[in-house]
Order: sequence, then C-alpha cells, then structure tokens
Amino acid sequence: MRPVAYTKQLVPGTKNPEPDFAYVNTFNMKQEKIITLEHVTKRFPVGDGEFAALRDITLDFQKGEFAGLVGPSGSGKTTLLNIIGSLDSPTEGTAMVMGKRISALSHKQSARLRNLHLGFIFQVFNLLPVYTVYENVEFSLLLQNRSASERKKAVMEALEWVGLEKMANKKPAKISGGEGQRVAIARAMVKRPEIVLADEPTANLDAKNAHAIIQTMKKLNEELGTTFLFSTHDEKVMSYLDRLVHLNDGKVAQDELVNHKTKTP
Amino acid sequence: MIRFLLKGILRDKNRSMLPVIIITIGVTLTILLSGYLKGVMGDLTDQNARFETGHVKVMTRAYYENKDQLPNDLALLDAAALTDTLRKAFPDMQWVNRIRFGGLIDVPDGDDGSKGQGPAVGMALELLSASSGEIQRMNIPGALVKGHLPARSGEALIGHDFATKLNVKIGDEITYMGATMNGSLTFYRFSVSGTLRFGSAGLDRGAIIIDISDARTMLDMEDATGEILGFFESNVYNDDLALAHAARFNSRYVQVRNEYAPVMIALRDQNNLAGYLDYVDMFSLLFVGIFVFAMSIVLWNTGLLGGLRRYQEFGIRLALGEEKGHIYRTLVYEAILIGAIGSVIGTCTGLLGIWYLQVHGIDISGMMKNSTMMMPSVLRARFTPDLLYIGFIPGLFAMVFGNMLSGIGIYKRQTAALFKELEV
Ligand SMILES: Nc1ncnc2c1ncn2[C@@H]1O[C@H](COP(=O)(O)OP(=O)(O)O)[C@@H](O)[C@H]1O
Ligand SMILES: [Mg+2]
Repeated sequence: MRPVAYTKQLVPGTKNPEPDFAYVNTFNMKQEKIITLEHVTKRFPVGDGEFAALRDITLDFQKGEFAGLVGPSGSGKTTLLNIIGSLDSPTEGTAMVMGKRISALSHKQSARLRNLHLGFIFQVFNLLPVYTVYENVEFSLLLQNRSASERKKAVMEALEWVGLEKMANKKPAKISGGEGQRVAIARAMVKRPEIVLADEPTANLDAKNAHAIIQTMKKLNEELGTTFLFSTHDEKVMSYLDRLVHLNDGKVAQDELVNHKTKTP
Repeated sequence: MIRFLLKGILRDKNRSMLPVIIITIGVTLTILLSGYLKGVMGDLTDQNARFETGHVKVMTRAYYENKDQLPNDLALLDAAALTDTLRKAFPDMQWVNRIRFGGLIDVPDGDDGSKGQGPAVGMALELLSASSGEIQRMNIPGALVKGHLPARSGEALIGHDFATKLNVKIGDEITYMGATMNGSLTFYRFSVSGTLRFGSAGLDRGAIIIDISDARTMLDMEDATGEILGFFESNVYNDDLALAHAARFNSRYVQVRNEYAPVMIALRDQNNLAGYLDYVDMFSLLFVGIFVFAMSIVLWNTGLLGGLRRYQEFGIRLALGEEKGHIYRTLVYEAILIGAIGSVIGTCTGLLGIWYLQVHGIDISGMMKNSTMMMPSVLRARFTPDLLYIGFIPGLFAMVFGNMLSGIGIYKRQTAALFKELEV
C-alpha cells in the first residue's frame, strides 16, 4: 500500500505524522490533486455475466507527478487510463480529473476535457497515415480553432522538444518507430496539457529508443510541470518513475514511491 | 478543418476512389438515359408534328372524334376564311391546310384492264405554294427516291415500295378511286412524278401525296379542308403555349352546340402523345429513383467498409478531443466533397455521351423494318439544361445519404469501444 508519509501529504489531517522528508520535498511544491479516484470499480459484460477489470480503486495523483501503473498484462492498467482519460467511465465509485467528475461529463464535455487538458500516447504510435508529421501534431490545435500562426509556432516548438523539427513534412510511413513515438509525444504535448496518459509507450521500441523517449518525457515533466501517468511493465520505464502503482487483478497491490538516489523499496 | 479533410480525401485514394467511380458511373448512366429519352421523345414529337398532328390541329369536332376513319364528310367548310382567322389570331404560328384520304390506286394497262391495284393512304398538302413550307416540313426532297417534286396539278408522289409493288414507273399514269366528301364515287387520274421513302413503315405503306387543289377537285371539297395544322415559327413544340392557344381558340366555341364547329387540339392531346410524354417523364423519374436507391445502398456499404478501416483514425481523433458529433459531421462533409467530385465527373462524361448521340446518333433502321409505329430510324439524344442537375443532385444525395447511414453505426458505438480499436 501507499507509503505513510506520502499519504500524510495528500490527505491532511491523517493520524500518522511521521515525516519522510525525501518525499515531502518533492510533493510540497505541488500539492494540487489533479486526479482523484475513489472506490472505482469497472465491470465489463462478458457473456451472461460480468467481469470486474477494476475493483475498488482509491488513488490520487498530484500535479506534476511522473508516475506509472505497473502490473502484468490484463491487470487493468489500460482500463484505468481510459477512465482517467474520460474515454470510459467507472461502473461504481467516482473518478475526478481536473476537478471534473468523469461519469457526469457529457460527450461534449469529455471531448473538451481531452482536447484542452489531456494528452495521450499509445503503445502503437497511431499517427494518421495520410497526414504529415506536422499535420498530425497540428490536429488538436485545429480542433481548438487556433489561428494558423499560433498553430505553426506551437507545432514547431513541440517538434523541437522531441528533436524532430526536420521531419515535419515526412509521412509517418517514412520515419522510424522511435521517431514515430516522438511525434506522438509532440502531438500529446503541443497543446500543453496538464496531464499526459501514456499507455505502454515503449512496448514497441528498442532499448535505446525507449530510454530516449522516456528521457524526453521526463524533461518535459520537469520543464513544463506536466503530470505524466504511464501504464507499463517495462523495467526501463519504471527506473525513471517517481511512483509505481502496482495493479493486480484490478486491485492496487502496492503504491510505492521511488527515490532514485536512495532506492527506497 | 475543411482543408484538413480535403487533404485526407485526396491523399487516401482508397477512401475516395471507389465512391467517386461508383457515383461517376451512376451519374453518367442517369444523364445518358435521360438525354436519350429526351432525344427519342423529342424526335417522336417532332416527327408526329410534321407528319400528322402539327403543334396544334384544327378540325371539326366530329372529324376529331372519328379521325382514324379519315372522315372527309365531316371536314371543315369555309376553310380559307377560317385559316385567315387563325393566322390573325395566332400570328406566332404558321397555318396550313391538309386533307387526308383513303382509297384505291389502280394502274391501268392502257387496254381498259389493270396492271395492279392497292389500297392507298393519301395526304394532300399545299405542295404548289412555296410559302406553306410543307415540302421542307415533310422533308420530301430528302425522302425522294426517284423522279421530281410535283410541278403542276395532276402530278403525284407515291411510296417507293408501293410503286415497286404496283410496277409503276416515273411518268406512268395511275387512277385514284374513292369517295367524295358527299359520298359519291370518284376517279381521278395522276401522273407519277416521283417516288418517296420516309424510312418509317407507317408512312411509307401505300402512301400517295398530292397537291391540295387536286384533292379539292377530286373529293369535291371546294373551300373545305380536313385539317388545319398550326406550327410554331420556331419549329419547336411548346406544350404550355400550344395548350394555351387551344384553350383560347376553343373558348370561342363553347356555346356552339354543333358537331361541325371547329376544335383546336394540341399535339400532346393527339395520338396518345400525352401518354408517351408522361410515360417518359415517369420513366425518367423511376430510373433516377432506382438509381438513388441502389447507389445509396452501395455507398452505404462502401461507407461502412471505409468506416471500419478508419476506426483507428476515429479513435485517435476522439482521444485528441474531437467530439463524436464532429467526427460524424466531418464524415458528411467528406461525403459532400466526394459526392460532388464524382457527380461533376459523371455529369461531364454523361454530357459528352449525349453530345456524341446528338451529333452522330445510333441508326436503328434495321430494327424498325416491320414497325408500323411512327418512330424515327436514327436515335438521337438531346441536350436539355436539366441534364446539368438530373444526375448531379442524385449523385450527391446518394453519397451523402449512404454515408450518413454508415456513419450512424460509428456514431452509435461507445467511445471506449471505438477506442479499443487502438489496442493491438
Ligand atoms: N471492453 C471490454 N470488455 C470485456 N473485457 C474487457 C474489456 N476491456 C478490458 N477487458 C478486460 O479487462 C481486463 C483488464 O484489461 P486491460 O485494462 O486492458 O489490462 P492491461 O492494460 O493491464 O493489460 C482484461 O482481462 C481484459 O480482458
Ligand atoms: Mg493495456
């Protein structure tokens, strides 16, 4: 379960006062809860019955966290990310994202939440094949009706973050997998969202690219203060994360904070 | 956003090619068929007008009711005065007198015997008066096989095959035997000045054409005429105007309780042409309807397939914060763009085909040998302005409708289900 000190920071007034200063420093600055899950259960109809992919999940994430949902395949990571991303809603319990209750949002409102505040990065890069790298990154800004000059500035800046400004006019088929995932990062980041949800972003990448990708995201996390929430079972990714939420059979098995210097268990 | 969609359509050939081809074919067919029907109908109307009905025709009421029997006993009297009245009342039309008659043609062998005999259907025209325009109207120079046009009274033209059957040569004498207007027997001698073939079996069978002055003498019809035909100066039949003229003329005689009172009948109300005209309109409409229906179904299915192929794209767009409704609307916009492209191409190719048919035509005289119908032997299409939209609008409609149907399927799917497609 979650380390005590951390819990204290997140929920003021809890009984255990034992401070763990290594973490206090990290989270003191950004004490804003950006994602709150309370008793979230998700059931899918399967055949005649139901299957609980998530059971009674209670968790929250602070603004600026660089955290991951980890666990074996089928443990419910994607389901949980989809709920946080307002692409799905919980069967029971409440999920609050940016102060909005997911299950209460209309189609329009959840689309707006995604468009303005959430960035997605997937296992497969999922770039639109007929559009260039530039146009793929530009799309969310088109949805926001931003002016052409604003779009251009933002897109080029996002491509610079991931080091792909020279690839702007290439089609997705003409770039490598690592570059594709960097375009996906630029696409998620171009609108400067508060939260980026990355579902197994390195699963299709070799070690070198995986490290490069995750370092890029870490840098953006530090520079822009964007909250990153991963789903992964990749050790390489985990080694960069500050917090690992272990899922097993749809339940939180362990919520550990990782101090990279002290390597707390 | 429109630019974004347009780029997608132009770059993704799979998305646009098939629908464009389907629409192009459908629109082309619609235009070809409509233009062709218009052409056939136009030719049919035209030929009927020239040879039989005029654009309007004045007869006595009794003659009109029995016109198939060529009842010259019911002919119009005071023909000159009535014709004059018509010319003054309807100066936009050209007015001519015609007498149609039946009888027997006998070819004497010069020995009080007979070389041959046959039933004849005759038409007496204002042949010797150049101003009547009847020679051109009936296209007699074009139909002339041998000999020359009648130059004076007592000369006749007869059908070429009829002449062959009766063994008549140019310059031979023939005798008409028949009944006068008053029912007494009449014989009249003509010299054959030429033979004709109109190319329409109905016209060529047993035909004889003489000048109307001969007919008046022969049939005892002094200052009488079976029919007075009116033709618009433009030579193009105008249904509304013809009906209006007829109504105006006939209103003068509504009070007259006399079966010899004249009556004016527009082309559409003669020879069942109204039926034809309406039939063609209905057929066009039916075809367009079937076309829209079939196209919609085909395009619905291509839309569904295209949609399935694009679930990944829709999933991404949803994740990027596009609304489902917006995605659906963009599908409709895309359909409008693709539908418009296909319809423009289809309209162009269709009109090209119409142009070919209008200029060159298709000769079907081989198929028409035994027909008694008054049908032109070369089928031509005709360009009319409505061809510009008769294919275009249904093409566009079918595409948009088909895609709206297929789009509903996508729209109804749960966001998460669409999104599931993203997972591998
Ligand atoms: N739409 C669905 N219908 C039925 N079962 C589902 C659905 N989505 C996920 N599941 C099930 O829920 C469990 C968790 O899935 P998922 O969240 O994708 O796991 P992970 O991402 O950790 O591999 C799996 O057993 C999966 O089969
Ligand atoms: Mg998963």
